Amino acid sequence: MSSASATLDGERPHAAAVKALRVHRRRQWWPYGYMAPVLVVLGVVFGYSFVEVVHYSFYAGSIGSLVWVGTANYRELVSDPQFVHSMFNNFKLLLTVPIVTILALAIALMINTTFRGVRQYRAILFLPYILPATAMGLSFSYLLQGNGVLDNLLTTMHLRFLIHDWLGSPSWVMFSIGGVIVWQQLGFGVVVFSAALLAVPGETVEAARIDGASWWVVQRRILIPQIRRIIEFFVILQAIIVLSSVFTYVYVLTGGGPAYSSSVMEFYIYQNGFENGSIGIASAGAVVLLAVSSVFIALYLWVRIRAAKEGR
Amino acid sequence: MKSTYSSTRLSRPRSRFATKAISALCVGAMGLAIAVVPAATQASASSKTNINYWFWGESDIPGITKWMSQRIATYEKANPGVSITLVPQSNTTIISSFTLASQSKSGGPDIDTQWATLPTLLPALQGDVTPISNYVPSSETKHWLNTNENTIAGKVYAMPLYLIGVPLVWNKKLFVKAGLNPNVGPKTWSQFLADCAALKKHGITPLGMGNQDGYFGAWMFAIYEKQLLNSVTQLTQGVANVGSSQAKLLSSLTTMYTMLAGLIKSGYVNSNVESLSLNQGWQLFPQSKAAMSFTTDGNVLSWAKAVGEANVGVTAPPIWGSGKLASTYDTTQSSDEFLASWSTNKAAAAKFLAFLHTPANMVALNKETGAFPADNRFPTSDITDPLAKALDKLDTSGTSVWLENDIPPQIDSNADLPAGQLITSGSGTPAAAVALWKQQLQKWQLEQPTQFSLFKKWATG
Repeated sequence: MSSASATLDGERPHAAAVKALRVHRRRQWWPYGYMAPVLVVLGVVFGYSFVEVVHYSFYAGSIGSLVWVGTANYRELVSDPQFVHSMFNNFKLLLTVPIVTILALAIALMINTTFRGVRQYRAILFLPYILPATAMGLSFSYLLQGNGVLDNLLTTMHLRFLIHDWLGSPSWVMFSIGGVIVWQQLGFGVVVFSAALLAVPGETVEAARIDGASWWVVQRRILIPQIRRIIEFFVILQAIIVLSSVFTYVYVLTGGGPAYSSSVMEFYIYQNGFENGSIGIASAGAVVLLAVSSVFIALYLWVRIRAAKEGR
Repeated sequence: MKSTYSSTRLSRPRSRFATKAISALCVGAMGLAIAVVPAATQASASSKTNINYWFWGESDIPGITKWMSQRIATYEKANPGVSITLVPQSNTTIISSFTLASQSKSGGPDIDTQWATLPTLLPALQGDVTPISNYVPSSETKHWLNTNENTIAGKVYAMPLYLIGVPLVWNKKLFVKAGLNPNVGPKTWSQFLADCAALKKHGITPLGMGNQDGYFGAWMFAIYEKQLLNSVTQLTQGVANVGSSQAKLLSSLTTMYTMLAGLIKSGYVNSNVESLSLNQGWQLFPQSKAAMSFTTDGNVLSWAKAVGEANVGVTAPPIWGSGKLASTYDTTQSSDEFLASWSTNKAAAAKFLAFLHTPANMVALNKETGAFPADNRFPTSDITDPLAKALDKLDTSGTSVWLENDIPPQIDSNADLPAGQLITSGSGTPAAAVALWKQQLQKWQLEQPTQFSLFKKWATG
């Protein structure tokens, strides 16, 4: 009995341990089970599309009459002045990133205090970000066209030497588009930075003030370093937006003109793929755009992972 | 504690069960909805023939969309089994939307409006358009005007709705202000330049146009490149790169762009031409901010209401070139209506299109918009308005060619439009504009080998 009892006593914990291990192992797979539907959707929506885009980039013609051309589309892209110019324009627009960041940060720091109407002020600043692209395009085309509202205003102010055809001149058009991007993205930046500043513990600032830190020192030494991660996220996010999400601005303001001078990579892809039906060259352009954007996406992920590790 | 534990333990499976039951119910309800709703929709839809009509025409003929909506309402009333959805298209979507729809060969329009000749014939050559003459008898199509613009091997691919001419319109009041004879428009290029100089001297913008969308440049190509050619074949064979024809074409384009650059440099075109679309640039004329414009018949009649009919004069575009086509006018059906090859309602759609050509509808089109119907049954004697009569006389005075119709859409949008913008924005020379043409012709050949070979076959007869 005693031996039998011992055996039973010995087996019971072993069986329980095995069962616990099984449950543990099963539970290890649960997260993947929960993720599976999303992974399937992502696989279908992005994975399949990506494979198809790469596949089409080796063909010429339209769907239904595709002709294998190997890497000719990529070689064509390199030698196509419109594509090279479009890519260069995307890089030019990257200059808006520091402008938006600095302006948004400055405004966020200025309104990081309680004064009457601060909420309304933040809402007004955010308003351009939620405006529909068509309304924005229409408004700015009237504002910036030659002899438009801005030019008339400059004339009234006796500043005729500043008058330009802001959208019709190849020398000015990218500045105009850049200006509109800054105007629209600024509100987003202010909201992001304001939220980050609100999360900074008030005691830290209070302690610095007690130690005699001036307003400027508080901003520079306490607040900005505290929201450094958010600034990094914002900069990289803006860089990705400027590289791969500026089609709307170009389409509604200039249609890529005059004579391709304001074309960007997305517009080039749209024009070739949708207007011309040249799926091959458009796909090759999309692959190049994805490759360029991937650098920033990788940077973004790296910053996020680093932030998560530091947080842990 | 125990009882608490027990109750918690018991409640969890119950909660899980409840969740599962609710989820199952939801999924079931959704499945039922998915299964039942389309079936119900199909059941109601099957009783009606739904025709999807992608329509364009407003920028040619102001008011034509309203006219079309009224015709649809009348037709649906007379044919309760037919439902027609009108989807207006813009200058920027007219080609791209159909191109996209034709790639999937499903959905999209049953009837599509497209610009005449190559924008219609290239999709036709690729099998995306069914000849309308397969569904409408020749006893009807013989009344349609300018069907030659969309005919291949005896098959009429599209139905014309209206004819438009592109005259030069001038503001008589502003001519008087500049000391010019208000009753005589410029006939030759030297007269035109002299008028421009006089107007400019008096602080009046001579020519009001817009090229933000590239269409002023495209119109100058259509009107003035044509005047350098002896035949349309010179253009089409040049595009198809047959023999030395392309070099000759590019040389004539250099001449034409040099003329356009001269106009811009002299300040004879509104200074903001590059930031206004063609439609926006045209508005300078009815606002009396520009003395002349190249426009459509429909716009002339519409603008006459704004500035007073007595203040508007029309003439053929001044003759500049010396080619055999220089004396031809610029009338075209401009756009046309055709049947998408994948449509399942082709017969019903063709029946509706033929209905648009009934004399009552054609008369209504003219009365409501001033447009000239592309139908020889339309009684031109009905036109009593002097300005409309003058326009009709120009439109029917002889041979007409609208050269833009004869270049492939990709060349039109990627070479013709931006090349003109290079000139009007002052950012490129005529040589640069022609280099762009050459580059785009090569690019098209590389990117669309099938389309190019179909075009070449068509261009060489």
